[in-house]
Amino acid sequence: MTGKIFRRKDMTISILLLALLVVVAISYPLLALSDPNAIDLTNKNLAPSAEHPLGTDYLGRDILNRLAAGTTTSLSIAAGVSAISLFVGVLIGCISGYYGGIIDETLSRIIDIFLSFPGIVFALAIMGFLGGGVINLILALSVVHWAKYARLMRGQVLSIKENEYVLSAKIIGAGDFHIMRKHLIPNSVATVIILATIDIGHVLLSIAALNFLGIGLPADIPEWGAMLSAGKEFMRTSPYQTIFPGMAITMVVIIFSIIGEGLRDIFDPNDTGGEYL
Amino acid sequence: MSYLNVSSLCVDFLTENGSVKAVNDISFEMKKGETFGIIGESGSGKSVIGQAILRLLPSNAVVNGSISFGAEDLLSLDNKNMRQIRGREISLIPQNPAGSLNPLLKNKIQVAEVFEVMGVNKKEGIKSVLGMLKNLLMKEPARILENHPHELSGGMKQRFLAAMCLSYKPSLLIADEPTKGLDSFSKKGTLDLFRHMKGEHGNSILVITHDLDFALEICDRVAVMYAGQIVEVGPVTDILQIPSHPYTKALLNALPRNGLIPLHGHTPSRIDLPDGCLFYTRCNLRSDKCGTERPATKSIKGGVVRCHLY
Amino acid sequence: MPPLLRIKNLVKTFEDNKVLNGIDIDVKKGETLGLFGSSGSGKTTVGRCIAGLERSDSGSIFFKGKDLQAMSRREKKKVRPQIQMIFQHPEISLNPRMKAFDSLVEPLKIHGWDDKCSLENKVEELINLVGLRREHLARYPAHLSGGEIQRVVLARILSINPEFIVADEPTSMLDVSVQAQVLRIMEKIQQEKGVSYLLISHDIDVLRKVCHRIVFLKNGRISGVENA
Repeated sequence: MTGKIFRRKDMTISILLLALLVVVAISYPLLALSDPNAIDLTNKNLAPSAEHPLGTDYLGRDILNRLAAGTTTSLSIAAGVSAISLFVGVLIGCISGYYGGIIDETLSRIIDIFLSFPGIVFALAIMGFLGGGVINLILALSVVHWAKYARLMRGQVLSIKENEYVLSAKIIGAGDFHIMRKHLIPNSVATVIILATIDIGHVLLSIAALNFLGIGLPADIPEWGAMLSAGKEFMRTSPYQTIFPGMAITMVVIIFSIIGEGLRDIFDPNDTGGEYL
Repeated sequence: MSYLNVSSLCVDFLTENGSVKAVNDISFEMKKGETFGIIGESGSGKSVIGQAILRLLPSNAVVNGSISFGAEDLLSLDNKNMRQIRGREISLIPQNPAGSLNPLLKNKIQVAEVFEVMGVNKKEGIKSVLGMLKNLLMKEPARILENHPHELSGGMKQRFLAAMCLSYKPSLLIADEPTKGLDSFSKKGTLDLFRHMKGEHGNSILVITHDLDFALEICDRVAVMYAGQIVEVGPVTDILQIPSHPYTKALLNALPRNGLIPLHGHTPSRIDLPDGCLFYTRCNLRSDKCGTERPATKSIKGGVVRCHLY
Repeated sequence: MPPLLRIKNLVKTFEDNKVLNGIDIDVKKGETLGLFGSSGSGKTTVGRCIAGLERSDSGSIFFKGKDLQAMSRREKKKVRPQIQMIFQHPEISLNPRMKAFDSLVEPLKIHGWDDKCSLENKVEELINLVGLRREHLARYPAHLSGGEIQRVVLARILSINPEFIVADEPTSMLDVSVQAQVLRIMEKIQQEKGVSYLLISHDIDVLRKVCHRIVFLKNGRISGVENA
């Protein structure tokens, strides 16, 4: 498996970059080099220079410093949303697909309801109800995201639940929980994980969009989407405060897309040859 | 004159664990109008031969030897010329008829697509398939073309694919496991289909199968494969009624009506082949020589056999 | 002596399609009963009803005199494991993400076997019975042949000592020589353990060779019985 991953150049580069980001995200708050919120009004809206490699924003805060600090916020929100919505989605999708009948009907309708709202508007409404903050943002985006994982999971479970090893487990006397945990989830979760990986980029974009709309995180929390949105007013005079956060978001979206696509190829049991051999 | 001539064909698959010798020094020839069977169990390498002839092997396969078809050397043709031969000259009836048709397209459209690729007028193409379907004894051929693949039974799909293959009159048909997984009733239908193709159209057919009864009914000559090698070649009645090679004997004895006697042991690893005969460990007629020296092919009674007994 | 399994007037309908239309079958202890029919004759449905994967519309299946379909949950839990099933398609008969060893001991673990030492002995006994080697157990199903998988399946269900095994086309996807191996192993198991089989097949040669009696099924009805 690891061999398969590193035989792909795009995968290798993406994983190295992601590892770098994770290191930054974890170590940056611990290092506490300088305060990302330090305001210096004499040096505001500066272009990149030796002192401020990526320039400063409208309050004179160092953009590189804030981008690095923002890695922690952005990645932990994205990871939190993925973890919660994957857990809920896989569980509900599995139950729905496995039991069928009235349970499936009910759960499927609930999934449909959640899928029928436009994601951003839905998240906006939830944030309006819960208020801002990191935890609430994670909850709101999880509520938006779980349903599509649930639907995908349900489909996967439906396609394997009549497989003979599942029937055999039933005949042997295995309980429903055992069957789901040992047979159904391990054999159907790969596709959902792939979708979730590609989706992490979308989650970052959603955070950015919510912040752009002014609902999301308080202004002092360094976060890429919030930086992007705060910079929008100075786009003409000082574009760097939108360009660099925008590039950071784009990069992470691309990283996760490549990893997701790569995982799809690797998980594909029919794939034995292919371009990386 | 031989028409398809495979000589010293070797196919190795490069894998993480080493190179797997799927096909190991195989030679046989087919005459025009002949139905030739390659008989072997799963893993014997028989399907690889069909893929090698059509040059449809995956990219990790290393092919050595030569395959000549008429005047062409198939292994040295460029891709463009190979495409000309595939379908037009040599056609494949695939193992899994259900997976070979696009479930979203009407049968008619799939047929049209094939003729489009072949550069034949669509309408004429459909007309010739219609004729072919009638010829293959299918009822209501016009309705079949309007249906989607899922509306056809397994046997009908196979006939439909056969009609598609035959409609541009290939000179060689390759049929990969035509009876796999079929019940006895459907098997009879497939047998009728092949008899018809053989009799009426005079096609040369290369049948790749593990079904001994089917081979006996349809083939003129057969080659028996074991662990990537041909162990014997000859007229089908000779081979399947008075076999020479111990493996063929054992295979026949494993048939339910011949006593259901199992073969003991396992096929050898295809990465590290043993020095001696590949069937040595499972053979009950073995001698010391068999364990150390790989037998070469020898001619006997109208065929060849690869065994030290002869 | 009453039969081990008695099917009385079994009827099953799928969406207006009467698949089984009043079936009566008896299977004695230690007997192999063949069930012959073409595809669509309902033979698989009979097997699925016996194994509890399907519930019949009417009729009963008595196992040791008790109606399987009219049992309490508690009774079912005790009786059901005594009836096991082996299926047609080896490629999906074992969980592709579990090593053969884990599939093999799964039933033992479910039924509360936790003594490590005797588990090893039990595994040894089972693989000897079906002619597998230790090395096979360390592999995933993708690296086992069809015949090896069917042996793992047999060893797996034998671990909980069933008295009745429904074998639904267990060898129709296997090669001729492997078919003979698997059927001979099933015969040996019967001699050693006294299990009964319902062997479902469309290959009359196979049934005539290994069954004590053959029941012919046509359009959901029994059309004949043959003693071998």
